[in-house]
Amino acid sequence: MPDLATSTKAAPALAIEGLTYAYPHAAQPALRDLSLGLAPGEFALLAGRSASGKSTLLRAACGLVPHFHGGEIEGRIEVAGLDAIASGPGELAAAVGYVAQDPETQVVSTTVAAEIELPLELRGDPPSSRARAVEEVALALAIPHLLDRAVDTLSGGELQRVALAAALVTRPRLILLDEPTSQLDPVAGDELIWLLRRLNEEWGVTVLLAEHRLERCLAAADRVIAMTSGAITFDGQPRDFLTWAQDADAALETPAARLFSLTGIEPLPVGVRDARRTLTATEANPRPPKKLSEEGVRLPSNTAVDVRGLWVELSRDDGWRDVLRGIDLKVESGERVALMGRNGAGKSTLLKAAAGLLDPVRGKIEAPNGIALLTQNPSDYLVRERVGDELPGDQGSAALRVVGLEDAVDADPRDLSGGERQRLALAIALAGRMEGDALTGLVALDEPTRGMDRARKDDLVELIGELAGRGAGVLVATHDVEFAAAFAERVVLLGDGVVIADGPATEILSGGWYFATEVARVLDLPGVITPEQGAEALSATGDD
Amino acid sequence: MRSPFAYTPRPAPLQSASPGAAVVYLGALTVVAFVYSNPLVLAATGLALVLAGRLAGAQRAVRAALWMGLTLALLIVVVNALVVSRGETVLARLGEWPLFGQVNITAEAIAAGAVFGLRAAVVMVAFAIYSACVDPDRVLRALRPLAGRSALTATLVSRLVPVAAADAGRLRDAARLRGPGAAPVGRAPLARRLLAGSLDRAVDVAATLELRGYSLDAPPHRFAAGSRGLGRGRSFAQRSRYDRRFYAVGAVVLAAAIAGEALGADAFHAYPVVEVGAGSATLALSVLLLLSGLAPLRRKPRRATRPVPSAAEPSRA
Repeated sequence: MPDLATSTKAAPALAIEGLTYAYPHAAQPALRDLSLGLAPGEFALLAGRSASGKSTLLRAACGLVPHFHGGEIEGRIEVAGLDAIASGPGELAAAVGYVAQDPETQVVSTTVAAEIELPLELRGDPPSSRARAVEEVALALAIPHLLDRAVDTLSGGELQRVALAAALVTRPRLILLDEPTSQLDPVAGDELIWLLRRLNEEWGVTVLLAEHRLERCLAAADRVIAMTSGAITFDGQPRDFLTWAQDADAALETPAARLFSLTGIEPLPVGVRDARRTLTATEANPRPPKKLSEEGVRLPSNTAVDVRGLWVELSRDDGWRDVLRGIDLKVESGERVALMGRNGAGKSTLLKAAAGLLDPVRGKIEAPNGIALLTQNPSDYLVRERVGDELPGDQGSAALRVVGLEDAVDADPRDLSGGERQRLALAIALAGRMEGDALTGLVALDEPTRGMDRARKDDLVELIGELAGRGAGVLVATHDVEFAAAFAERVVLLGDGVVIADGPATEILSGGWYFATEVARVLDLPGVITPEQGAEALSATGDD
Repeated sequence: MRSPFAYTPRPAPLQSASPGAAVVYLGALTVVAFVYSNPLVLAATGLALVLAGRLAGAQRAVRAALWMGLTLALLIVVVNALVVSRGETVLARLGEWPLFGQVNITAEAIAAGAVFGLRAAVVMVAFAIYSACVDPDRVLRALRPLAGRSALTATLVSRLVPVAAADAGRLRDAARLRGPGAAPVGRAPLARRLLAGSLDRAVDVAATLELRGYSLDAPPHRFAAGSRGLGRGRSFAQRSRYDRRFYAVGAVVLAAAIAGEALGADAFHAYPVVEVGAGSATLALSVLLLLSGLAPLRRKPRRATRPVPSAAEPSRA
């Protein structure tokens, strides 16, 4: 086993030269002639669309590529002075920590303490130093209260922190994170990013973070590396990245940067504080849009779902607990509603109860035209090897037409892209619930944007609009405030099993700290949540 | 919803004990259940285990095991009564049955079936308490120096079983959510999908194990016995202050069981007529077994004997 002590502290945390890698049986390489260096103590953000090679790069840096996945590799990778191609992931574990997107498959022990202690034990550290390291990392990540818990009783956010603790406990020089906030609510996501920043500043850990929601972490980063088709297409300061993204790939722009580009204000902001400073310096005096009060007013229509006084109890580790407490919610046909709230607020439980998967202990649910629910894992709906076999007959064809997959009847679902698989799963849930091409019931989606890039989110926004246009009431549980701002006309905010806010999206998403869009936090104007609305408000500067 | 048999960490003596001590204690009671047929002894063993489970905070596991065990016991009683016609006390003559032949229900066959059933229920309760109270990580780590590859396989399986169970639940939900116009999902496609998903999951878990350094050669000092571990009773190497109690109780139970056998404490005959021994040896063994159920009892901390100065009183510097 290579000794990390022999690698000098002055060595780069990560040095990659001329790396080209192809997965086994892949037609195209996933990484192409890639060169990259990370100095000790840097906080770098890895940006790029889905399938641009970000995850493969992270897997190469921790040794999983090629040791675990196989394939063909050329070039050189060094992690803290260790040759990552010659050494395996186990040998690199002392120098590099890796946290993947799905925390559920990253834990291998029964209890939190055992999970965190495991890498040290396998490394052969004596029990006294293991005890200290576990205690310290638990304190650093604010999880000492979780140490004696069983891992299968933790929430997604807690599990993600435990996975991070297990990756950090060996005090690695480099930590790699692959979309660690994709399953977290805005509060937990922000906390995680700033926790990483604090670890970076106080412990000197080099951070390489792959993330789609750039607005969440751009302000914490020292450097941004953008990837396209397996190659690095930008490497520089966050502000320069925004200027580059403006021309090269608008899908990588943050909402605040988009707001500034629409209004021609410079320099582009890397965060909310930066944007506010620039606006103050330019003496901008934005005004709210004049017709705000008329927004969200709808003509009477049919009810897609009517939930009254709904109570749902679920069994937890410490007994039965009320997860929903007297929920009242009505969604009309053609209405687009975002259901928001922190992890564990009861969003998924509400959707499952509405779809009949959970029995309420009290209350009524009426859905005269049925409910089509797409759960968090679209792949769970796909059990056959041909799209047409999943959706036979006229009803199947009609459902495929609605989601735009009528030409994929003979395709194998596994060959479809992530977005197409999600559409297919939605078609499976919709099949037989349509009257001709019209949809009259409720379409419910649970966290549909996990791991999606902006371009795919825009496609989903379009699809939701189309479903609502066909008459469906659309109810989407989501943590993603920017996505909610893009599709929803109404937002229902849940907190600990009760509805704590219900109103037009422009009102709900502009009136808070966490459940507010970046533009709303920059401008702090009631009713202004999207870059386009913000640009309108800024262009009204000085008009009375 | 978690399985009632899933391990739940608690600051109770049985959970704090090392796996060896817990296995000796629960194993001794299980041995008694296997060796003895006297219903009094079996009932005492069962009650001791129920008491131990309650004191260890594993009521859910005990309840679930009792429910399953007593259901199984009832089934055994019915089958034994129908299959075995031995015994002098005929309660009912049911005539010729296909496959069974002449069926006579006898009190002796019912009693013999009840003893078999009680034994099965007692053993199930013992295993339920083991499952809910003994940390599988500590067991696997204790086994790793002896059989590294087997321990790795067991680690993978022990992690994948709950993950696969969760996946199966999600797949069932998704099958229920399919629209009426979608092709219905039979068991075979669902099972195929679960298997494929499990393989993907196994790859992810194996990758995590690889990243944690599982493939490294074990340094020789790693599994030093008796080394001090984490401060809260978490490390597999740490001994618990309750270990000696469980070893001692397990040893006493085994010794008493052996002595009881020699002294005729297991007196029980189902045929030709039911004879249940209730001599002094049987009663003494039953009482001792009942008392062994108190082993996981946690004593309350003693109160301080010195008076504590109240906030109103000025302290003497």
